[in-house]
Amino acid sequence: MVTEEKKAELLAALREGVIQYDEDLVKQKAQEVLDVGMDVNTAIFSGLVSGMEETGRLFEAQEYFVPELLMCADALYAGLDILKPHVSQLDLGVRGSVVIGTVEGDVHDIGKNIVKMMFDVAGFTVYDLGKDVPLDNFIEEQLRTDSDLVCLSAMMTTTMVGMQKVINQIKAKNPNVIIMIGGAPVSSDVASKWGADGYAKDATNALSDAIRMVSSLKKLKEEAEARKK
Amino acid sequence: MSFTPLKNLLTASGAGVVGFGDISLAVSDEISHLDRAVCIGLERNLNKGTVELLGALQKNAAAWLKAKGYRYLCIPPDSDRIKGKFVSDLYPLFCHKTAATCSGLGWIGKNGLVINPVFGPRISWATVLTDAPLPPDAPISSERCGSCSLCVSHCPSGALTGKSWSRKTPFVKLIDLEKCRSHKKTSRTVNNKPNCGLCINICPYGRKNISPEGVS
Repeated sequence: MVTEEKKAELLAALREGVIQYDEDLVKQKAQEVLDVGMDVNTAIFSGLVSGMEETGRLFEAQEYFVPELLMCADALYAGLDILKPHVSQLDLGVRGSVVIGTVEGDVHDIGKNIVKMMFDVAGFTVYDLGKDVPLDNFIEEQLRTDSDLVCLSAMMTTTMVGMQKVINQIKAKNPNVIIMIGGAPVSSDVASKWGADGYAKDATNALSDAIRMVSSLKKLKEEAEARKK
Repeated sequence: MSFTPLKNLLTASGAGVVGFGDISLAVSDEISHLDRAVCIGLERNLNKGTVELLGALQKNAAAWLKAKGYRYLCIPPDSDRIKGKFVSDLYPLFCHKTAATCSGLGWIGKNGLVINPVFGPRISWATVLTDAPLPPDAPISSERCGSCSLCVSHCPSGALTGKSWSRKTPFVKLIDLEKCRSHKKTSRTVNNKPNCGLCINICPYGRKNISPEGVS
């Protein structure tokens, strides 16, 4: 049986390892989590993800820049690679799948990758279409996978306009799909005008938005269950 | 503060050459706060050991800078870039050649490669970008190959244009990349990668038992 002290120590070390972008420390501590038989879900959410949330805050406060943010994300994944195979069911109360990609003409995918990571961590099945994705592919992929969420990313105003077409077509075929758009030129005005359900300004915002989106989905699910009763 | 201990540490750990460069004019916006480069070179043996040692040296430099409270970004050796990492998106933003010339460790030869006075083009590079105020070494801003153009005349695909590199003049095309690539496809492979390397082997700089003067 794992003592509470040992648990607290490991959680703090995982969190600190992500914040300090120390891949080796994260790997070592993740292995220790398995060795002592600690709950893997707790290690992921109260350790790794907690560290990534702090990283997001440091980035927002401009204490961390893009390289640090990305190195932290790599550290998180190093831990996740070790822990994830031992999670039988990553239960955040939401199950679902998401189609994600950077729209046609655009090759900027840093923000998209960070958002993808959050969905990965939250236990979503992620269909990553990559960058410079033809608009029709989003629509086809959503229909093929029957995903609950579609996330579109664009970094340039010229490519951003393509999003509207995708939103319209997906919503016409399936009004229940939640669409989230993000990238520098996008604003909340644009998002609501085009009928998107969520919007994220940059990687940090996307990160907190993705977390918020997950919890709002969780709420929707709870409401649906309450109605059933 | 003195940064000599960092150079000493890297040399003692096996680095062939170490230099500090001012790269403020060459670094792109996303990482413009990182205006110094620690340039680490190792004689190329084209084996796993070279890449592993370079990786270890790079880690040493990063740890040293981090402990002193500086930011850094490691640009790994070209042959050791793990794809699919978040941070690997940033690698194309800066190239080792710029670090090497800005640190005074070499110039760009007619074969388009960094020529180090001691090792010639037979050298592998790793770079650590940082915001630490490293005292820059004197940069090299034009080629020192002189009239030697052995690499140009020996290139089997005629890909080298024979022009000279200089930091002061606008970009000139040294290599016809298409010709180089199409030739490489026809030659035998090394580690499952197309290979040629004649322009490296022929270079008198760093070639064993031959001095540059003796060839030109």
